[in-house]
Amino acid sequence: MRVSFQSLQRHVDLAGVEPAQVAELLPMLGLEVESVASFGLAPLAHVVVGEVRSFERHPKADRLSVCQVDVGDGAPRQIVCGARNFKAGDRVPVALPGAVLPGNFEIKVGRLRDVDSHGMLCSAEELGLPAGEDGLLILGGSPALGAPLHTLFPPPDTVLEVAVTANRGDCLGLRGIAREVAAALGRPLKPLDPRSSVGLAPAPSSQDAVGFVRVTSPACPWYTLRTFRGAKVGPSPDWMRRDLEAAGLRPVNNVVDITNWVMLQTGQPLHAFDAAKVSGGVEVRAAREGERLALLDGREVALDPSVCVIADASRPLVVAGVMGGADSGVSDATADLLLEVACFVPSEVRRASRRLGVSTDSSLRFTRDADPAGVELAGRLAADLLAELAGARPAGPAVSVGKAPRAERAIRLPQGFVAAKLGAPAPEDQVAGVLRRIGFQVQASPAGLDVVVPSFRSDVERPIDLVEEYVRVHGTASVPVGRPVATAPLEPEAPAAAFAREAALRLAGAGASECCHYSLREAAEVARVVGPEAAARLALENPLTADQTHLRASLLPGLAQALRLNLSAHADPSRLFEIGTVFRPGPDGQVREHLAVALVALTEPTRRSWLARPSPDLFAAKRLLADLAALAGLAASRLAWSAAEGGLWQRGHAAALADRGRAGEGACGLLDLRWTRSLDIAGPVLAAELLLPRATLAARKLPRLEAFSAFPPVTRDLAVLVPLATPAGDVAERLRQSAAKAVGKEIAVEAVTCFDVFAGAGLPEGQRSLAFEITLRHASRTLADAEVAAAMDQVAAAAGKAGWTVRR
Amino acid sequence: MQDQLDRALSEAEAAAGAVRTRAELEALKARLVGPNGSLTAVTKVMGTLSKEERPAAGKLLNAAKARAEALLAGLLSKVEEAELAAALGPEVDPTLPSPDAPAGVLHPLTRTRERVLATFRKLGFVVAEGPEVETEWHCFDALNTPADHPARDMQDTLYLPASFRSADAPRKGEEALLLRTHTSSVQVRTMLGRKPPLRIVAPGRCFRRDAVDATHSANFHQVEGLWVDRSVTLADLRGVLDFFVKETFGPDAETRLRPSFFPFTEPSFEMDIRSPDLGRLSGRWLEILGCGLVDPKVLEACGLDPAEWSGLAFGLGLERIAMLQHGIDDIRHFYANDLRFLRQLA
Repeated sequence: MRVSFQSLQRHVDLAGVEPAQVAELLPMLGLEVESVASFGLAPLAHVVVGEVRSFERHPKADRLSVCQVDVGDGAPRQIVCGARNFKAGDRVPVALPGAVLPGNFEIKVGRLRDVDSHGMLCSAEELGLPAGEDGLLILGGSPALGAPLHTLFPPPDTVLEVAVTANRGDCLGLRGIAREVAAALGRPLKPLDPRSSVGLAPAPSSQDAVGFVRVTSPACPWYTLRTFRGAKVGPSPDWMRRDLEAAGLRPVNNVVDITNWVMLQTGQPLHAFDAAKVSGGVEVRAAREGERLALLDGREVALDPSVCVIADASRPLVVAGVMGGADSGVSDATADLLLEVACFVPSEVRRASRRLGVSTDSSLRFTRDADPAGVELAGRLAADLLAELAGARPAGPAVSVGKAPRAERAIRLPQGFVAAKLGAPAPEDQVAGVLRRIGFQVQASPAGLDVVVPSFRSDVERPIDLVEEYVRVHGTASVPVGRPVATAPLEPEAPAAAFAREAALRLAGAGASECCHYSLREAAEVARVVGPEAAARLALENPLTADQTHLRASLLPGLAQALRLNLSAHADPSRLFEIGTVFRPGPDGQVREHLAVALVALTEPTRRSWLARPSPDLFAAKRLLADLAALAGLAASRLAWSAAEGGLWQRGHAAALADRGRAGEGACGLLDLRWTRSLDIAGPVLAAELLLPRATLAARKLPRLEAFSAFPPVTRDLAVLVPLATPAGDVAERLRQSAAKAVGKEIAVEAVTCFDVFAGAGLPEGQRSLAFEITLRHASRTLADAEVAAAMDQVAAAAGKAGWTVRR
Repeated sequence: MQDQLDRALSEAEAAAGAVRTRAELEALKARLVGPNGSLTAVTKVMGTLSKEERPAAGKLLNAAKARAEALLAGLLSKVEEAELAAALGPEVDPTLPSPDAPAGVLHPLTRTRERVLATFRKLGFVVAEGPEVETEWHCFDALNTPADHPARDMQDTLYLPASFRSADAPRKGEEALLLRTHTSSVQVRTMLGRKPPLRIVAPGRCFRRDAVDATHSANFHQVEGLWVDRSVTLADLRGVLDFFVKETFGPDAETRLRPSFFPFTEPSFEMDIRSPDLGRLSGRWLEILGCGLVDPKVLEACGLDPAEWSGLAFGLGLERIAMLQHGIDDIRHFYANDLRFLRQLA
C-alpha cells in the first residue's frame, strides 16, 4: 500500500509532523514501512526555466542538436541536446552546471563531439517526475525565464510503501492508516461526511438503467448498484490525478479515477459500468462453463462455475471483485453510469484471483475482508464526486440486494485480563482510553470493560485480541522485561538431537568437515540411491525446479558433489560429513524419516607431502561406521556385516551393515568408481553412511558396570582353510559359537579375531587360509592348559564339521 | 707398580676412543678388569708386597680402579646413547609441516544451533523434534491458519502427492502431506504428546517453495520455542527473548517488540535488535524473530483449555542469526559447502 503523506493529511492533521516521524511510528503499530521515497519534483538547485531560442544540427552527430538557450541572465548559452520533441520558442527545464539531478547525476560544462555544452535540457524522468512522453519536458504557460523549476510544481510529497499484514484489511485504505497515525499522535481523525445520501431500494425503478438486479451466487452477500445520468467524461482535476499517481495508479478519466480515488481513501473497491453497454439487468452469478471474458488489461480469460461474475442478461461483464471487462467499462462516450459497490466473500475472490492469475487493487482489498460499512460510505463519497467532477445525477436510490455480512461486535474484556496477559499493571481507564483512540467504543462495567469493535476491524473478536490492540497502541516499550524462573521440566531431550551433536563432534575430530545440502534432489540421483521404483515414491507434487523434485534418500550424493566442488576450488577437501534427515520408502509402502550420518573421504592425497601416509581404506570406514553405530546405541552383538551391492557402492569394495534390532542400517566402502569419476573425482572415494529411523531412535541407556576377571586370559591360535567365497565374519562367528559351547558358562570367549589372511602358493585352488586368535578367560581362576587344549580340540572338530580344514 | 698401573690405564684409555658397540665395550672391560686383565694382573702383585709397602700400594691400586670404573661407565653411557640413536633413527626437523589433515570443522549452522540451544537450556527449555514431512493439520489447521490462507497455496508450499504415506506423520482422512513450512508444527506435536507445564525448543529444517537467491533458500533452519504454563505473560516473553539476544549478541544489544501478525499467536510481534557490534549493520534496527502469546485457538486445537493454560512461542531463523553474527550477506553460502567458507567460520 503506497501511502502519500499529503493524501494522509486529508484524514488527519499532520501539522508539525515530518514524514520520517510517520515512517518511524507505523512499524511500531504493526505496519511495516518497506520504503520511503519522494514523489514529485524536489527543489533542485541550478535547475531553471529556459527558452530554446534557436537550434541547429550538430556538425558531427545527426541525432544531436546544438541549442541556444536563454535562461534570462543575459546572453543565451549553448547546450547540446539529444531530444527531438521541441521547437524554437519552447520553454524547457535547464540544468545548469553545478546542478545535481536525481541519481546523483552532476551537471558540468562539457564537450560533446567537439562542441561545448553549458548544461543540460531535461526530460521529466531525468528530474524524478513520472515519465511522460519521450523527449524534453515542455513547460506550458510560458513561465518566467530563470525561475527555479520547482516553483512551477506542487510541493513534493513523500510516499511510504507500507506492508499491510493479512489481518489488517482496514489499512488498505488511507483512512485506516490515518486512524492508526492519529491514535499514535493523539490527534483526532478528520470527519468524513459525504453530502449525498444513499437511499436503498430492493429493486430497480423505472428511473434506473437496468430492469433487474439479481444475486444468485453465495460469493456476494451484499450488492448495490446505482444509476447516474448525464455524466461528462473527461480528465480529472490535477489534485485527483496527483493523489492517484502518488498511490501508483494511472489516471484514466474522471469517472474511473473517482472509483479509484474513493477506494484509496476507504479501502472499498467500486466499479463503474457504461449503462448503455449493459443489456436488460445485472445478475451476480457463477460463470457458466465455456463463457469467456475480455478483461480491461487486454487478456481474455476462460471462465468456469468456480468463478463469480457480474453479468447482464446475455454475458459476463466483470469477474466479481477482481477485474472489469473491456467492453462494458466507462469511455469518453459514456453518458449514463452504473456504479457498483458490493461485498464479496474474501475466499471466493482469492480463489477467482488465483484461478485466473489476476491480482488487482480490488481483489487485494476484497481478499482482506473489506469493511461492509464501506459500501455505503464509498457509494456516497463517489456520488458527491460524480456530481461535482462529472456532472452526473443519481437517478434514484441505490438498488440493494442482500445485506452487510457483519457489523459491529461487542466484547467483554474481563477485569484484570490485560494485566494478566501483560505481566504488569494495566489500569482499566488507561486500557479504555487506548481502545477509544482507535475508534472502539468502551463502557466500563463492574465485570470489566464492554467494548464495541467497529466493523472495519474484522480481526478483533476476543479479549486476547484487545490485549494486542492495547499493547500495540499503548506501545510495546511498556511490556516489562520479566525475569523468567528457570525450572527444569522433567522431560528428556530429543534423542536425535543429542546423538547428532555427539556424532558431529566425533567426525570433526576425525578430520572431517561438516556440510549442509538441500533436502530436495533430482530424480536420477535419488534413483541411483534407492532404485527408480522407490525414487518415484519420494517425488514432490509441486516441485519448483527440475533439479529439486525429490526428497533425498541419502546424504552421499551431496557430499560427493561437495568433494568435486572443493577439488576444483583447490580448497583441499579430504574428508567431509553431513548429518540430516533422509527419506526411505519401506516395504509397507510408508516413507520413513531417518537421521543420517554420512562421511566421504578421498583415498588419494590432495597435497604433496614430504612424508607419505597410508591411504584410508574400507576398513577405516568400517571402523568409523561401527563406532557411530555404537554411539547411536546399536548393540554390537546384533550387527551383521555383508557385502554391499549396487546403488552408490562399488561392487566388491563395500560393506553393508544390518541391525537385527532394526534400529539402524548402514554401509561403507568405496563409492561406485564410474559414478565418482563422472563427477571428475579421479581417485576412489571412500564413504560411510548410517541411517537411524527417527521413530525408533531412543535415548542411549547408561551402561551398567559388569564385574571383570582378575585372572589372566589364555590365547590360542587356529588356522583354517576355507573356500575363497566364505566370509571371514561367518567363520569367526562359527568358531566363537563352538568355543562358547566347548568351554561352558564359567569361561568367557572374550574374542575370536582374524589376524592373518593368506591365499596363493602352497594352498589348494579356490581356498584361503584364515588364522584366528581365540581369547578365553575364567572369572575366578587361572585356566589350566589341559582344559584349554580340550576346548580347542572341540573347536577344531567343529571347524572340520563345517567343511574347513584345520591347519596344524 | 705406578708405572704398571699407568700403562694399563693408558692403554685402555687409548683403546676407548675406538669403542662403538656394547661388544667392543665388553672386550675392553675384559682386557682391563677381566680375570686376565691388565689391571687385574697388577692387583695380583699386591700379595707379593711387604706389610709396609701395602698401604701405599693399596692407595695407588684403589685410585687406578676408580679411574678404570669411571672410564667404563663413561663408555657405557656413550654406547647406550648410540644404541638409542640407532633405534630412533635420525633426528627430525621440527619445523617441517605435519602431513596430516587438520581437524574438521563443524558447519556454522550447527555451531549457531548449539549456541542457541545452550542459551535456552539455561532457561529450562529442552530440545524437541518433529518430522519434516508433516500433515496439513499439524502445519496449518492446528495453528489457526485458515483453509484459504495464501501460505497453503501450491505456489508457496511444497506438497507431496496423495499417494505418499509417511510413517512419521500419519494423516487423518484425505488431508495433504507437505514439507513443513515452519517448526511451529513441533509446538502442536509437543502439546498433544505431553502435559504442561512445557518448555521446549525445536530446531529443524523447514521448506518454502521459493526460488533461491541471496536471501531465499529452498530449505532453511528454524528454532521454535514454546513455553506453556498456568500464567505465561508478555513480560515472560520479553524476559526470555531479551536474555537470548544478550547471550547471542552481547550485553550492548537492545531489543524492541514490533507488533505483527501470525495466525498462531495473539498478540504477535517481530523482535528487532540493535547492536553497536554488527559491522555495517551496526546501530540499525534489525528483525530477528517472530513471537507472541500462543493463540487460544491453538491451545484448544491441542486439547488445552485456554482458561487454564497460557503460553508463549517464538520462532527464529538460524541462517538469519548466523548471517548477523558472522557478517554473511548471502544465504547460499550455507548450502554451497565451499571449505573456504566453512573453515573461516569454525
